Amino acid sequence: MDRLREKVRNLLKEGKVAGYLGYKIKEGHPLPYLFTPERLEEVDEAIVAPDDARYPLDKLLQQLATSYPDATFAVQVRGCDERGLNELYKWGQLDPEKVMLVGIACTQDQANYCECPGPWATVIDYGEKCEAVLRSKRVDRIDALAGEEAFKEWLQSFNRCIKCYGCRDVCPMCFCKECSLEHPDLMSTGTVPPDSIFQLVRAIHMAGRCIDCGLCEENCPADIPLRVLYKKANMLVKDLFDYETGAPEAGLSPWKFLGDESTMDTKPM
Amino acid sequence: MSEATFEPKIIGFFCNWCTYAGADLAGVSRLQYPPNIRVIRVMCSGTVSPHHVLRAFQKGADGVLIGGCHIGDCHYLRGNFMTIKRMRFLQDLLKFTGYEDGRLHLEWISAAEGPKLAQTIRDFTQKIKDLGPSRLKLAPHAA
Repeated sequence: MDRLREKVRNLLKEGKVAGYLGYKIKEGHPLPYLFTPERLEEVDEAIVAPDDARYPLDKLLQQLATSYPDATFAVQVRGCDERGLNELYKWGQLDPEKVMLVGIACTQDQANYCECPGPWATVIDYGEKCEAVLRSKRVDRIDALAGEEAFKEWLQSFNRCIKCYGCRDVCPMCFCKECSLEHPDLMSTGTVPPDSIFQLVRAIHMAGRCIDCGLCEENCPADIPLRVLYKKANMLVKDLFDYETGAPEAGLSPWKFLGDESTMDTKPM
Repeated sequence: MSEATFEPKIIGFFCNWCTYAGADLAGVSRLQYPPNIRVIRVMCSGTVSPHHVLRAFQKGADGVLIGGCHIGDCHYLRGNFMTIKRMRFLQDLLKFTGYEDGRLHLEWISAAEGPKLAQTIRDFTQKIKDLGPSRLKLAPHAA
């Protein structure tokens, strides 16, 4: 923790950043907090959020960047947060020149729980690299089900949905001003549970964009296994278009451009 | 609804420049195909969003057929590059969730391919008839 605080203190002192978005204990709870050079002494209280108290810092950073477009901010990132930043740069939502990373490596427990293929940031200021989890057992389990059973299982989950939009609101990658989930021509209004395509529409939007932070699933009051759905969507994008979501060198998302040629074949009937 | 009398509802999204013109040709050539398909004309198959396909299934479609120009023949040059990306992805996603498998079909049909259009619609209608009504339609509180 000292190493992290020292880095943050130096960044703030040298005026390299206008603020550091991290965590602090407030009234017994670890909560996101913006540390500023004016109150340097607070940096001693900066912490790394415990595994079960993660917040969408990327989303808060977008709000900060909108309010202070010329300022540079440092932000605490886990592996997923950093993938999110990379993806947000590509989608033109943040300027990479205006972001500095304070990186965290997740614990092995967290990585296992998330089935995370990259549980550390490229710069590590806290924690040790652990073993990445390259295969998702949760996705494999659904993959092994026959169509009928998979449908039953998904529908059971989707029918629990209370349409709180929590998954969308917590998602660091959901930055659209207008949302197709609220479009009356695309989604029925005034019914709970919502249309059974509700989660699929979100899954389509998450393909090539979801950075697998898992906050949607943790936020969901109905315990819908959203993460499995989005993990699969990303796996399909990887298989079909060879696009690694959140990787800085992967180029643009396949949905962002038409391409110079098309080598895909239609599926036979 | 019993299997014997099951008449599927199929939504067709046909591109204005190729497949829709192909349907015109099939019409003036008096080629027969089943009336289960309801055709929606779009300016380009690339304008068909996955939302539209999902919405069609939600509203009770048993099958969705997308018709576009052959790769390289698109009136907007590369519009159908996006069509195939989207539809291949959506087909796989629908399969994973068990919603539909094989009920979404994409076929490239040019303005000169009237017979191919009629044959595609005949084959697709038969396939959907064999599959039976869509799961989404039958499921409790799904619609």
